Amino acid sequence: MLINHRRVLQFPALLFLILIAFPVFAENAPSSYKPVTVPNPATDLWRAVNPQQLPPAEAAMFPGGDSQVQGVQSGVLINQLGQRWRHFRMGQLLPTGSYLLAGAMLAILLFYLIRGKVLIRDGESDKKIERYSIYERLIHWFMAIVFLFLGFSGLILLFGRSLLLPWMGPELFSALASAAKEGHNLFGPLFLLALVLVFLKFVIRNIYQKGDLTWLLKGGGIIGKQDVPSNFFNMGEKTLFWLLIIVGGLIAISGVVLLFPVFGQGRDIMELSHVVHGIAAVVMLSVIIGHIYIGTIGMQGATEGMTSGYCDLNWAKDHHSWWAQRCIDEGKVMPKQQGAAVHHDNPAPAEAEK
Amino acid sequence: MIAQLIEGPLWYFSLTVFVLGVLWRLFMILRAGAKKDLAVPRDGGGAGALRAIFSRFVPERTVRRHGKVQLIAGYMFHLGLFALLFLARPHVDFFAERITGIGWWSMPHWAFIVAAEVAFAGLIMLWLYRLLNPVTRLLSSADDYVGTVLVFLVMLSGCLALAQSVEALRLIHLLLAELLLIYFPFSSLMHAFTFAFSRGYTGATMGRKGIRA
Repeated sequence: MLINHRRVLQFPALLFLILIAFPVFAENAPSSYKPVTVPNPATDLWRAVNPQQLPPAEAAMFPGGDSQVQGVQSGVLINQLGQRWRHFRMGQLLPTGSYLLAGAMLAILLFYLIRGKVLIRDGESDKKIERYSIYERLIHWFMAIVFLFLGFSGLILLFGRSLLLPWMGPELFSALASAAKEGHNLFGPLFLLALVLVFLKFVIRNIYQKGDLTWLLKGGGIIGKQDVPSNFFNMGEKTLFWLLIIVGGLIAISGVVLLFPVFGQGRDIMELSHVVHGIAAVVMLSVIIGHIYIGTIGMQGATEGMTSGYCDLNWAKDHHSWWAQRCIDEGKVMPKQQGAAVHHDNPAPAEAEK
Repeated sequence: MIAQLIEGPLWYFSLTVFVLGVLWRLFMILRAGAKKDLAVPRDGGGAGALRAIFSRFVPERTVRRHGKVQLIAGYMFHLGLFALLFLARPHVDFFAERITGIGWWSMPHWAFIVAAEVAFAGLIMLWLYRLLNPVTRLLSSADDYVGTVLVFLVMLSGCLALAQSVEALRLIHLLLAELLLIYFPFSSLMHAFTFAFSRGYTGATMGRKGIRA
């Protein structure tokens, strides 16, 4: 008797298929059996590590897991607020920040095109007044160097992925981003040091005085052509100083919170710090762009005070006329040909405040 | 190709130039000798030399009063740089692997960061002081600026490569360090060695005259 081998193999295969298909038929068929709920351990695990999947009342039942790692929130595997922070960073901080920075630069360009360079009304004189001591200039430029380094490295970290990565490619950008991160972290505490030094040195002269508001209401003599008197620092400079101290202080403190996660701060605090750090930095950068403009190409004679330490007498009369008059009365005006005296500090800064 | 050059031949070349250059400069200083002192010495020159070498680390009162920035920034930079150069873990490993064969105690990471902060603050302030003070600006030559910039770039590139995740950054740091080694013997950076000779010479001369200089 001949055995058809093909049929022999077909039979078990058919049986196997029927057995597999049976539960499907059984499921569709009406049944009197009650369904048995078998809890899926994977689902519970997922809920435990990611409580945001649950309604708030149930989420409270999962405060966090246990871990042998001892640390703040070390029992939390998935941070509930992480996604919210990421959405804010990508969806709001980046576009708004870029608009703000671009807007600041555009506004300055427009201002330059409309107003032009602010010139000394009577031209440069042959006399000068000492404006800043070596130490004052030193801490100003120290802060400037540190701020610019932090600004550029911070912009790479914030916008690099969107702007530089497509252009540079992943290898070059990863090197740049890694360098920017390390440099940013390293120079961060130096900004705090600079901030403290600048605050201690300049705070007295930046306390608001009578006449400051008038200066502001008259546009500081920059908008329009009228003469607006002011003290050693005008309202604009004083406002910049306090912005630097307050907003810069926020940047520095939030930076320290991010840089040293050893004070018991959790991820929620770190994310909040990052948001504050990002917003404050973009605001400060926009303000400093204006400061750099008016201190360099925007105003004739503005740079000299911070480079040589002396300013032109006519420049001082134009922009700080009360202070200039005091210097004239006290005999502090000197001819420009006279060699620069080496003052290690302002000889009488307290007098300049009056 | 470039990486191999920086890691191999250029490293040995720069180290050779540095060692031979420093030895040659010191030999030339010693060879110049000192004018013979015909007067009867009142005191020993050796004691005067030693006293001057160490006492100069504590500046005179007038310097302390009028040169606070240079004094504080100077110490910050030099101590920070010394700590970074000889006590940073990557450097200790590098020296042990390439030069000494043995390692030594290295700073923890947080101390490394503090040392880098201190050194950077000091260097930037000294650099600014040189530029802003009309006297030091007048006295400074291109060599001073080149030396400062090179040291700054070596420090900066080292710190930017701190994550040790990007090989290119480490190579840039090594390349800059090699350029610094080559430049070092022919520049004012030699004061790292010659300060002892300079102070010792002055101290010995004054010591023989019986002056506590």
